[in-house]
Amino acid sequence: MTVNGLRTNVQLVPAGGTETVVFLHGMGTDSLASFYLTLAPPVAAAGIDVISYDLRGHGKTERPERGYTLGDFVADLDDLLRQLGVDRPVHLVGNSFGGTLAYSYAVANPSRVRSIVCIESEPATEVWAEKMSQILAHTVRFLQVEESFDWIEANFGAHHRRLARMAAERITSTKMAEEVPLGPLLTWEQVAAIGCPVLSILGSHGYQADDLEALTSLLPHGELHVFEGQGHSVLVEQHREVRELVLKWVERHAA
Amino acid sequence: MTIDHASAVFDVVAELLTQLTGDTDVLGIEITPDTTFHEDLQLESIDLVTFASILAEHFGADVNLAEYLAEKDLDDVIGLTVGDIARFVGERTCPR
Repeated sequence: MTVNGLRTNVQLVPAGGTETVVFLHGMGTDSLASFYLTLAPPVAAAGIDVISYDLRGHGKTERPERGYTLGDFVADLDDLLRQLGVDRPVHLVGNSFGGTLAYSYAVANPSRVRSIVCIESEPATEVWAEKMSQILAHTVRFLQVEESFDWIEANFGAHHRRLARMAAERITSTKMAEEVPLGPLLTWEQVAAIGCPVLSILGSHGYQADDLEALTSLLPHGELHVFEGQGHSVLVEQHREVRELVLKWVERHAA
Repeated sequence: MTIDHASAVFDVVAELLTQLTGDTDVLGIEITPDTTFHEDLQLESIDLVTFASILAEHFGADVNLAEYLAEKDLDDVIGLTVGDIARFVGERTCPR
């Protein structure tokens, strides 16, 4: 379907339920597959309607050269839900950048979000923008060196070499790396005003490892779950445990 | 599952795969049960989602590839073979 002017790959798993979960995947090599092939089936089996889609520039969704500010991603989600006729508040479950998007969407549309589960994510504050700028700039430099792909294959295998190629192609053919950190950024006051319940799932060695408690203590209805010894890839490496956390969370926070 | 049923299912799965890959002769490979989805066919995880829809459309909603893969570990999904998919489809469509 066409969402906010872009051909967008959308996968719906209607369950006839009273709750709706929207899965928001991460940036770079990610696509809706990371949720669709892990959490979507059991969530739908629990009677919860599932919406997943490839974010702009990812998976099988169109990839324009420009248009990658958080505002663009928020507008996409808003238009998607409007076109699907989803008029009840939804549970947003975001992985990495998808969780950042969930925070921004909740700030812009507080009445449309029942709860948030963010996995290895943080809201789009100035701290996030600085971190993202550094990560993306480093990634661009790294992926411009051919030997980087040899190193990736030697350390992680041929599959990850192909993923890195894919990420390099996506990043270098678009303005994604430059535009994503532009925001619009959120103030800490806006983040603290998020009224819906928020579950933050982190790895103790992930991207938020240096600030595990601060974010959650800021949120009035925030909870934290940390996987000890786990890096950033919480969703794929701990998907069974994440599944249980999400199912219990949605059940607790159903209308 | 009989050998005939398994063999027939494999042939259909291999044929359906060409909807994703086009002519596999172009890739210079012959699809066998050991052919890997990602490495040999050069497909991505998002193609597995598309293939799940193709399988469900052809065999019916009981053939839910996403549900099958949701119980697998990452390494199993990365190393998924055409034979794995055909065995799963065969078990779900086995005549009783």
